[in-house]
Amino acid sequence: MEVGMQGGRLVEPDSKIVSPTLSADEVSHLAVDIGGSLIKLVYSSINHNSGIDDKEKKSSKECSVVPNGSSNYPVICGRLHFAKFETSKINDCVEFILSKQLHRGGSWHHETFGNDKKAIKATGGGAYKFADLFKEKLGVSLDKVDEMDCLVAGSNFLLKEVHPEAFTYIDGREEYVQIDINDLYPYLLVNIGSGVSMIKVDGDGKFERVSGTSVGGGTFWGLGKLLTKCKSFDELLELSHKGNNRVIDMLVGDIYGGTDYTKIGLSSTNIASSFGKAISENKELEDYRPEDISRSLLRMISNNIGQISYLNALRFGLKRIFFGGFFIRGHAYTMDTISVAVNFWSKGEAKAMFLRHEGFLGALGAFRSYESHSFDANMTH
Amino acid sequence: MAGLTEDHQPIEIDDIKEETNNKFKKDIVDRESGGEREMAPPAGSSSIHRTSSRPLLDLSKAAIQGNFEEKDPTILLPNQSDDLSHLALDIGGSLIKLVYFSRHEDRSVNDRRKKSLKEKFGVSNSNRRSYPILGGRLHFVKFETAKINECLDFISSKQLHRGGMDASHWNSDDPNNDNAVIKATGGGAYKFADLFKERLGVSIDKEDEMNCLVAGANFLLKAIRHEAFTHKEGQKEFVQIDQNELFPYLLVNIGSGVSMIKVDGDGKFQRVSGTNVGGGTYWGLGKLLTKCKSFDELLELSQRGDNRTIDMLVGDIYGGMDYSKIGLSASTIASSFGKAISENKDLQDYRPEDISLSLLRMISYNIGQISYLNALRFGLKRIFFGGFFIRGHAYTMDTISFAVQFWSKGDAQAMFLRHEGFLGALGAFMSYEKHGLDDLMVHQLVERFPMGAPYIGGKIHGPPLGDLNEKISWMEKFVQKGTEITAPVPMAPPGTTGLGGFEVPSSRGNTLRSDASNLNVGVLHLVPTLEVFPLLADPKTYEPNTIDLSDHSELEYWFTVLSEHLPDLVDKAVASEGGTDDAKRRGDAFARAFSAHLARLMEDPAAYGKLGLADLLELREECLREFYFADAYRSIKQRENEASLAVLPDLLMEIDSMNEETRLLTLIEGVLAANIFDWGSRACVDLYHKGTIIEIYRMSRKKMQRPWRVDDFDLFKERMLGSGDKKPPPHKRALLFVDNSGADVILGMLPLARELLRRGTEVVLVANSLPALNDVTAIELPGIVAEAAKHCDILRRAAEAGGLLVDAMINIQDASKENSVSAVPLMVVENGCGSPCIDLRQVSSELAAAAKDADLIILEGMGRALHTNFNARFKCDALKLAMVKNQRLAEKLIKGNIYECVCRYESAGDQNSSSSFC
Repeated sequence: MEVGMQGGRLVEPDSKIVSPTLSADEVSHLAVDIGGSLIKLVYSSINHNSGIDDKEKKSSKECSVVPNGSSNYPVICGRLHFAKFETSKINDCVEFILSKQLHRGGSWHHETFGNDKKAIKATGGGAYKFADLFKEKLGVSLDKVDEMDCLVAGSNFLLKEVHPEAFTYIDGREEYVQIDINDLYPYLLVNIGSGVSMIKVDGDGKFERVSGTSVGGGTFWGLGKLLTKCKSFDELLELSHKGNNRVIDMLVGDIYGGTDYTKIGLSSTNIASSFGKAISENKELEDYRPEDISRSLLRMISNNIGQISYLNALRFGLKRIFFGGFFIRGHAYTMDTISVAVNFWSKGEAKAMFLRHEGFLGALGAFRSYESHSFDANMTH
Repeated sequence: MAGLTEDHQPIEIDDIKEETNNKFKKDIVDRESGGEREMAPPAGSSSIHRTSSRPLLDLSKAAIQGNFEEKDPTILLPNQSDDLSHLALDIGGSLIKLVYFSRHEDRSVNDRRKKSLKEKFGVSNSNRRSYPILGGRLHFVKFETAKINECLDFISSKQLHRGGMDASHWNSDDPNNDNAVIKATGGGAYKFADLFKERLGVSIDKEDEMNCLVAGANFLLKAIRHEAFTHKEGQKEFVQIDQNELFPYLLVNIGSGVSMIKVDGDGKFQRVSGTNVGGGTYWGLGKLLTKCKSFDELLELSQRGDNRTIDMLVGDIYGGMDYSKIGLSASTIASSFGKAISENKDLQDYRPEDISLSLLRMISYNIGQISYLNALRFGLKRIFFGGFFIRGHAYTMDTISFAVQFWSKGDAQAMFLRHEGFLGALGAFMSYEKHGLDDLMVHQLVERFPMGAPYIGGKIHGPPLGDLNEKISWMEKFVQKGTEITAPVPMAPPGTTGLGGFEVPSSRGNTLRSDASNLNVGVLHLVPTLEVFPLLADPKTYEPNTIDLSDHSELEYWFTVLSEHLPDLVDKAVASEGGTDDAKRRGDAFARAFSAHLARLMEDPAAYGKLGLADLLELREECLREFYFADAYRSIKQRENEASLAVLPDLLMEIDSMNEETRLLTLIEGVLAANIFDWGSRACVDLYHKGTIIEIYRMSRKKMQRPWRVDDFDLFKERMLGSGDKKPPPHKRALLFVDNSGADVILGMLPLARELLRRGTEVVLVANSLPALNDVTAIELPGIVAEAAKHCDILRRAAEAGGLLVDAMINIQDASKENSVSAVPLMVVENGCGSPCIDLRQVSSELAAAAKDADLIILEGMGRALHTNFNARFKCDALKLAMVKNQRLAEKLIKGNIYECVCRYESAGDQNSSSSFC
């Protein structure tokens, strides 16, 4: 993992994947995913050395697993870089692109058509909203790629090409999961953005949005903002670390006098009703700690997403559920509650899995939509 | 209100429980005395009819309560109580629900008519079961938990906790009343146990809530025909569920949290899922976000909200465009509360209304979605939603329905229960060992809607009413205070969203106030003697009502008809009770009560469940009886009977002079002509002022020129007289469903009955058990027949054979020995109802017994042949005769005009026969 680029005010350090399958004559590519709150960038850089220098190879997790035993071959390596910007600071992003001249290599066809006709693959709702801005500032047009297509393409790529990419999160511990590429499909991809989409993936380009819920990241942040006056999503998440949901949630124990309702496997700490305690107490909003509110909210939403995801996986007989999207953001407690929910509702039969590059699924997918990146061709090799 | 905690705990569950089904070990002693005694009729009012709605009174130690100078003092009857009762409670955080049973023996007069009928038909009271089901009434009452003392007073005043005077029948283990136990469920069963002990001296026996919920739901879904309904776009539609296809189903109980229970049978269920996002979340978050003081206030706010100000819609993300590729329209909610992210607004900048609506939709949709996924998982077709979160709130039901519909793509439907709030209390009631309700069948239950507190389930109206006097006072106050509540509200036409996704269902708005959307819950009358009429061709598909009142213009029409008729009816009712001040006061109260019923129905046609015209007309009769008007048309009926009987001999002579063919036609013409005498028809009431009975009758018969509008007379004639040389055998037994008193029955139906008797067909006259308008009753008929028989040998012999002639009864034993070979009997049976219409799914056991050998049914009059049963099919020959005395019905039913006639004949084997419309 490399330290992030300093070109913009990054939300978090970007990482890169060294792709052993980029051919030498490729120029750098750029794809963007412009969401409601974050802009995600994926771009490739070319490494003209036929071998990767050993030092970097050792220090870089991305190269430690090479798909399909191709490590014995001399490979021409390119690198995939990942970067994030806040959507509200889109100008930082534009400057970053300018400084790296990413947009010049952004089109596979630029040699043919000239710079004026350049197009960058883009996805996310902002691909529509900021199209003019990109044209004006960078002279490139945004070539919109369907969001769901991108998500799936991105996650298929990561799950097949990058190992280890998937991990479970139980009791605060990440555990990487080895996934047999031949046994990957079908799986359920749960993308938690502002809302939640649940996508059954049957193969490359073969997928269906089977469900979703409007109770997602936007609900957490939106309700959280109204209830706590937090200024940012991260601040709200941060608060939840220090919270205690028992103050405001009605627990099974609150109903049954502190005893478990073991008949059906509910312990006294199970939540019977989120925010249910607020009913009976003569307290107002100001009387509750924002930390506790944030925690209750996070648990309510994570638990709910976990449950609906499990029910949908069950419905289609899907063994694996991968969770992604900005709501998760590698946030331990979020992953923990989702894992607990899936574990609880499936009685231990299903496990929630997460992706290391989960925030970049869309951008990666957009990147992959460039026609001749040749990832696929090399896969089978 | 002090805030709502929970009516049902969300997470208490039992593993599948096999309920040990304790059968009755001993029969409950059938007792002679009985009767509904809650509301004693005013003393001194004499009644010539002993109708069974008249209670017997235990007047011992009666004393006037309070000031002796009061005008209408309440009379205290210390020895008067429901002689057998049963009480169960569900004590929730905000409401206490009571279910109690008052015994009400079907105290039909054991007269000689009945005795002879029993001998003839072999009627026995309980031929199907080993122990008798108790006739009685199941009452549903609500109190606010905060006003628990009212509840205790109510129980105490009715002595419900003592089980009346015969508690030992119920609590055989506890013959001593000091150890009386009341079954109860709900969180308050613990909390208030001491209070019950202290105030009433009874212990509370706590029942598992989930057991109770399931038992209550199972009972309702099996015993009440139209218990379940769907709710879409503000419209309720009642669903009849086949008992054999009821299980398995998903029961979703939305309390503070949500429990999802898979129900496989009686006592067989499992909590399969749930969610912590429930009513508590709505109210809890809502309280924090809006500072509302009560759950109802928060719900009320949502009616005026616009969730688009705070929810992020698909259109907000895609610049107003749909994401049609995955079936999401621009107005679909992408993220609940998602818009709050990007805007620089604080909590105060949002309207509480919008917040409440967003919250309601978020939670309702979520519950709908998870419920559907669980139903899918277990292959359950039906999902029933209940619990305090719903509370009959129209918009909540709409959003849940919408979610289930949306996620199932129309495959699954959300359903709700009319008695939803009483599931727990009913279940607790069922947990008594000997409630006797296990085998209760749909046809043995009749739901009535008496006016006044606290019987209107769904609403809480003031203190419990002790007697009629209190009820009348309450009606007077009710109308003064509540005019705007009961005033008719114009209905908004149902809108359609026309869009996919989670749009706002259109029912939100001013037509749906939370109080208006509560359904009324009536008193369930358990009448063990009711049976399904055995000659119905297909009882499962039988629908009595010809007119569908869910058509709003139809309801409006009848609303107007009944409203206009009301003053006249009140006058007659008051006159029938001697025109006293007391009668006037009761008449006034009746008018207010019935107007309130009508207004309520105009506001929400589904308020009383599935409503047909028959139900509406019966409601009026029941309302009259409720205010102790036993028979409003008593004197009119008497006068008309006398006048008609006076001219009957002349008419019979005229008929006897005709040949067989002319006679049959004249008789049918006579039935149709005489049917013009009908106090239920405005047009006919006007006619009465224009001549004497016989003049009108003759004028009317003269106009009976064939062809009639529906004219199957030739078919009927062929069956009766044959064609050519072929003489068909006479019918063995004919059931004649008679209509009005006076000319209608005496000049119309009696001569026809006489003709049948003459041809060797046994005749059973089927008349109402209780008065309805000027309809003749089974109690009045023997007297009329006896009078007619004085001038006619055929009638006399038949009536003697049928046991109708009381004076001749002494000799009947001998007479029957000598003459039984030649005399074909004329009999009278009661039909089991007190309405101008008849629902053949619920008839008296004596009618059912009489029907056993019948091969001809004649239904006469608008109520029984047109408004109901016009389309009914029978296993035997059926003749439907009526004059249409209502222009609208004429146009609608027979595409004809007022005073046109229907003579519809369908022979037994001919199920596809279509009547000839001329």
